[in-house]
Amino acid sequence: MKTFLRIIGALIVVCLAALLAFIFVPVQRTAPTEELAADWTPEAGQGEYVMYASDCMACHTAEGGEPFAGGRSILSPMGTIWATNITPDKETGIGNWTLDDFRAALYDGLTPDGRHLYPAMPYENYRKLTEEDVRALYDYFMNEVPAVNNPVEATALSFPFNMRFGIRAWNWIALSDPAGSAYEQSTPQERGRYLVESAGHCGACHSPRNVFMGQDGLTADDANFLKGGEVDGWLAPALMGEGSAAATWPVGEIATYLATGRNSHSTANGEMSMVVEHSLQHLTDEDNLAIAAFLKGEDVGEATLLGTDLALEEAENDHPTTTMLTEAKDLSEGARLYLDNCNACHFVTGKGAPEIFPELAGNSLVTADQTGPLIGIILHGAEVPSTEKRPMRLVMQGYAERLTDEEVAEVASFLRTAWGNDAPAVTAADVAKVRAADSAH
Amino acid sequence: MTDLPGLPSRRSFLKATAAGAALSGLAVSAKARTAEPPVPLDQYQPEFFTPAEWTFVLAATARLIPSEGDGPGALEARVPVFIDREMMGGYGAAADWYMEGPHQPDADPFRGWQTPLTPAEVYRGAIPVFDAWCQQTHGGAFAELDAAKQDAALTALQKGEVALDPTLKDFFSILLQNTKEGYFADPMYGGNHGMQAWTFIGFPGARANFKEWVPRYNVEYPLGPVSIKGERA
Repeated sequence: MKTFLRIIGALIVVCLAALLAFIFVPVQRTAPTEELAADWTPEAGQGEYVMYASDCMACHTAEGGEPFAGGRSILSPMGTIWATNITPDKETGIGNWTLDDFRAALYDGLTPDGRHLYPAMPYENYRKLTEEDVRALYDYFMNEVPAVNNPVEATALSFPFNMRFGIRAWNWIALSDPAGSAYEQSTPQERGRYLVESAGHCGACHSPRNVFMGQDGLTADDANFLKGGEVDGWLAPALMGEGSAAATWPVGEIATYLATGRNSHSTANGEMSMVVEHSLQHLTDEDNLAIAAFLKGEDVGEATLLGTDLALEEAENDHPTTTMLTEAKDLSEGARLYLDNCNACHFVTGKGAPEIFPELAGNSLVTADQTGPLIGIILHGAEVPSTEKRPMRLVMQGYAERLTDEEVAEVASFLRTAWGNDAPAVTAADVAKVRAADSAH
Repeated sequence: MTDLPGLPSRRSFLKATAAGAALSGLAVSAKARTAEPPVPLDQYQPEFFTPAEWTFVLAATARLIPSEGDGPGALEARVPVFIDREMMGGYGAAADWYMEGPHQPDADPFRGWQTPLTPAEVYRGAIPVFDAWCQQTHGGAFAELDAAKQDAALTALQKGEVALDPTLKDFFSILLQNTKEGYFADPMYGGNHGMQAWTFIGFPGARANFKEWVPRYNVEYPLGPVSIKGERA
């Protein structure tokens, strides 16, 4: 019996020691993946370019705030996470950070004092950045971004998510991939892969989440990489493989969408419109074509931006839905509402118009399991931002005043079965939910 | 749903469906449109017109677009309601017209709006003068005359045979114009009640695009009109 108690006692001591070590022993930082010469300096504009590719602006700039001065709230089910000030201000920003501190934040999600960042910071992806890009980015933030003294509200999540050491365990799973990268970047597809997997952090939204809420698929070697995820109740559609837009759009169309938020088939909505606005439109044509080539698994070839998808013009328009809307007889309530409200821009073919009105036939937002965005757009409209190559801001009006919940449900359900779309109906209760949630803002 | 297109909230790192569901408790009745029938025309309380003016407007518009014959008349289409609301709006106050001087009310009509008065002031000033002229010429205020005398009085007004101050001389032309507007404008402005005028002339309303009909010849368009607010007739 005594022996048994002694064993139990010893086990408890070991467990306690392990727990304390788990909580208090500092986490190892990942070393630089490449030794650069001490006097290595980035080329002019290189750091800013990495910043654009990484979309730092999106999270670290508050609405109407100074660039990178933090203070933007990021809603999560565990509470609000406040994006930090990453200007070189010594008091409230990262002015005291060394290059190693900076790299540790990007690669390991660690602050200089060893605290864990919440994985709202996509360090799962940024840890794939090359040392050159890390150095260039550091140089940009230290020397080109103006310091802004802006204390940001500290993130205070509810228990147990406020126990940041718990993220250490999460990181064991999430960061199992080695940091840094041995990326070849000599062909466009290789360059595209690097951008997608590292700076672009596309997987943060477009890969599904595993049971630990980590990205299920960090690189193209993983089966579920970019097979579709969900963000804020929106479907982040699959970007690779069967059923993805990349499978049907030519390389040039994909690149055009990335650079301008629009192409012959669709427009960028929700989170993606902001990615286009703050990040992708600033990339070179070569890089957007490279990303497209990687996603599609095809060479760039003769593809260019802003071309016209000839397949669209040659498409047959004799689908039964098109015929029914053209005849305008024996219409269901949803079809009648479509003619009265939507047809002016999206047309009886459901194909809309290139670079202006998105196609509704085969549109993943229309047929998504997440019906909130479709309902939200019918109620409140949508907006595509102005981009350098396509400056016209596109605006769809909302129909919240014009249509009742029942009518929105009818028209949404019609869209989800029209022109070969095949998704379950939307109910008036679904619409009421979205309307109430939005008016509670 | 926690974000709208164009209203950025930030991407969250975990699935946020629970957040959307939590908000649904706030659901209220979300009926977007109310379809209460309007008060009958004879019980309508005008906002701009005095009772005497209102009596005139009812009688005059009823002669300009009569109820007998084909199609709805001005009264069925509630044209007087449209004009009453129009007088209270920007048009009645000439809100976006150049109204500084110099004014030359007796200028050639082709010189446009030359009176210092707003359209609302023209109605206010001209109706009693015209009623007095009817009294003197036909033995009763306009609304009290029979249809033939009303038509004769309006014809005289149109031809400039009623002695109006030059500042009021556009009265008939704006009365006729506003009557047509009230007859054919979208019903959201109070006239064209039930889109009767559109139905009568076969106008399909605010459907905005008929591209698929361009190449279809000699095919009857099967749908009735739709209004800006989405009502059908």
